[in-house]
Amino acid sequence: MPGPDKETDLTERIEAFLFDLNRGGSGAGPLRGSAETARETTALLRRITAQARWSSAGDLMEIIRNEGRRMTAAQPSETTVGNMIRRVLKIIREEYARSRGSSEEADQQESLHKLLTSGGVSDENFRQPFAALKPNVIEAINELLTELEGTTDNIAMQALEHIHSNEVIMTIGRSRTVEAFLKDAARKRKFHVIVAECAPFCQGHEMATSLSKAGIETTVITDAAIFAVMSRVNKVIIGTQTVLANGGLRAVNGTHTLALAAKHHSTPLIVCAPMFKLSPQVRRLSFLSDFYRYCEILSKVNVHCPVFDYVPPELITLFISNIGGHAPSYIYRLMSELYHPEDHEL
Amino acid sequence: MNEEELVEYFRAQMRKDPDMASAVAAIRTLLEFLKRDKGETILGLRESLKWATDCLTGEDSSVAVSSGGELFLRFISLTSLEHQDLSRCKKVMEERGELFLEKISMSRTKVAKLCHTFIKDGAKILTHSYSRVVLRVLEKAAAEKKRFSVYVTESQPDSAGRQMAEALRKLNVPVTVVLDAAVGYVLEKVDLVIVGAEGVVESGGIINKIGTYQMAVCSKAHNKPFYVVAESFKFVRLYPLNQQDVPDKFKYKADTLKTVQNLSEEHPMIDYTPPSLITLLFTDLGVLTPSAVSDELIKLYL
Repeated sequence: MPGPDKETDLTERIEAFLFDLNRGGSGAGPLRGSAETARETTALLRRITAQARWSSAGDLMEIIRNEGRRMTAAQPSETTVGNMIRRVLKIIREEYARSRGSSEEADQQESLHKLLTSGGVSDENFRQPFAALKPNVIEAINELLTELEGTTDNIAMQALEHIHSNEVIMTIGRSRTVEAFLKDAARKRKFHVIVAECAPFCQGHEMATSLSKAGIETTVITDAAIFAVMSRVNKVIIGTQTVLANGGLRAVNGTHTLALAAKHHSTPLIVCAPMFKLSPQVRRLSFLSDFYRYCEILSKVNVHCPVFDYVPPELITLFISNIGGHAPSYIYRLMSELYHPEDHEL
Repeated sequence: MNEEELVEYFRAQMRKDPDMASAVAAIRTLLEFLKRDKGETILGLRESLKWATDCLTGEDSSVAVSSGGELFLRFISLTSLEHQDLSRCKKVMEERGELFLEKISMSRTKVAKLCHTFIKDGAKILTHSYSRVVLRVLEKAAAEKKRFSVYVTESQPDSAGRQMAEALRKLNVPVTVVLDAAVGYVLEKVDLVIVGAEGVVESGGIINKIGTYQMAVCSKAHNKPFYVVAESFKFVRLYPLNQQDVPDKFKYKADTLKTVQNLSEEHPMIDYTPPSLITLLFTDLGVLTPSAVSDELIKLYL
């Protein structure tokens, strides 16, 4: 039985994490990368599994769901937190099914087939306690953590297949995944990169500095020049904040413009996104962008500055993730493998 | 049960509950047929069920009845694989059949729950003809205190759109009936298009009342999202590549097929909308992209 010290320790860590998330979003604290957030979330969930008091899978899922709701409420725009929670919930369901010995793991999703053949109301309330469940779940979460560690490298490994010599590549803003991708290709090929600066934070400048330190010829352009320069570009490679369930993107402000310009010139648009960015949300019409005031010129003028853009799936050519390349129309399938439909709404 | 009794039972089901989908009524009729069947072998059972489905499609030639019948047949085959003895098999079939009917009667509610969140406050919606599923979705959105207005096409030749408008007026939703020809005209004012479907085909496209294809092409041109709401029992194993590929037996009403000599002079009642024009499909299996539909069908039929 975990003693009171361990419990308070656990609660402290959760509170500290929530505080960090909150700060990171309001612009006060350091902007953390999504990979870091994903890793920390998963580590925290592993700690909860190890230290919290629970007797059956149902209890654990309830605890995780509650903590999950609090975490997503602390920073709604950081979708990786929610994604990791859903992954862990799926892990728990799978381990439970395995412990019960049922071979119905594959059949957990709703389907026409299941409608026709099920013999009764499924009584999956996850109440049965299993001794081996805890170590199994922790083992599976460790595997998930290992997978998370390797995502950027796995994506970067595929760079040589997509980038050829003397190509002109365009990107926007700063994405650690795309940075690693381009640096990996630069070891063997010579090519030119054009970075759109992505006002008002101009993260494109940092990207350009970093790439040129690796020996890649880089040019920085303003966002307004994207369309003008697009005719000379061979490929557009971008990162994203979230991949939505319909194959669309929620990416940094300016990406939709870039995508439309690329479509107009029939330039392939490649998105480098690790699997932990895949979210079961679909874009609603009342799409929440983070609006906040950037500066007040006069007291009568409000300047709205959206942080994210929605890019529809028709404008995207290819997704490169740590498990390989996929078409946008295949994203629904990957999603059904990662998350259980009942966890879509935490 | 002979042909007359079958058709009479089907008609009675439709009369008793005008809100019921025709596929559900067909499945209910086939279940009743199963209960009264005096056959001795499973093969004989399948044969008589096929005959019963043909009778029903002779009465109501819509795609939904055909897909409901095929689904029921598939259900029988899957169940009969598990139990070899006919009497045991029949008992299991009857139990599961009742359960299946219960589940699919909940489908419309599930679809409405998924779809109403896509209707935001102040939205202007365009819909086509009379669809009970779309009506249910709009009911749910109205119940959630959302304010929206609806444009409905008249939908000739049977003016079914007026029936839809009546039903919406009862819900206190502001509704305007427009001519079928006015779809392009009205689309610039509209935020989203929601239509029902009589059948969802393997490619992810839909078969629906004539005029739907037109609406989809115009929505694409105007960049408006085109949503389809359909229950999962409407998934049918057809793969039309163009309008001509849709079989004649679905295009015209049952009486027309029986009486008229030259079909090329008749007006078709349905058309096919390809998946490239559809944004999302809302079904009781979840929110699907058109490419996900064939996955579902494969899981069932293979």
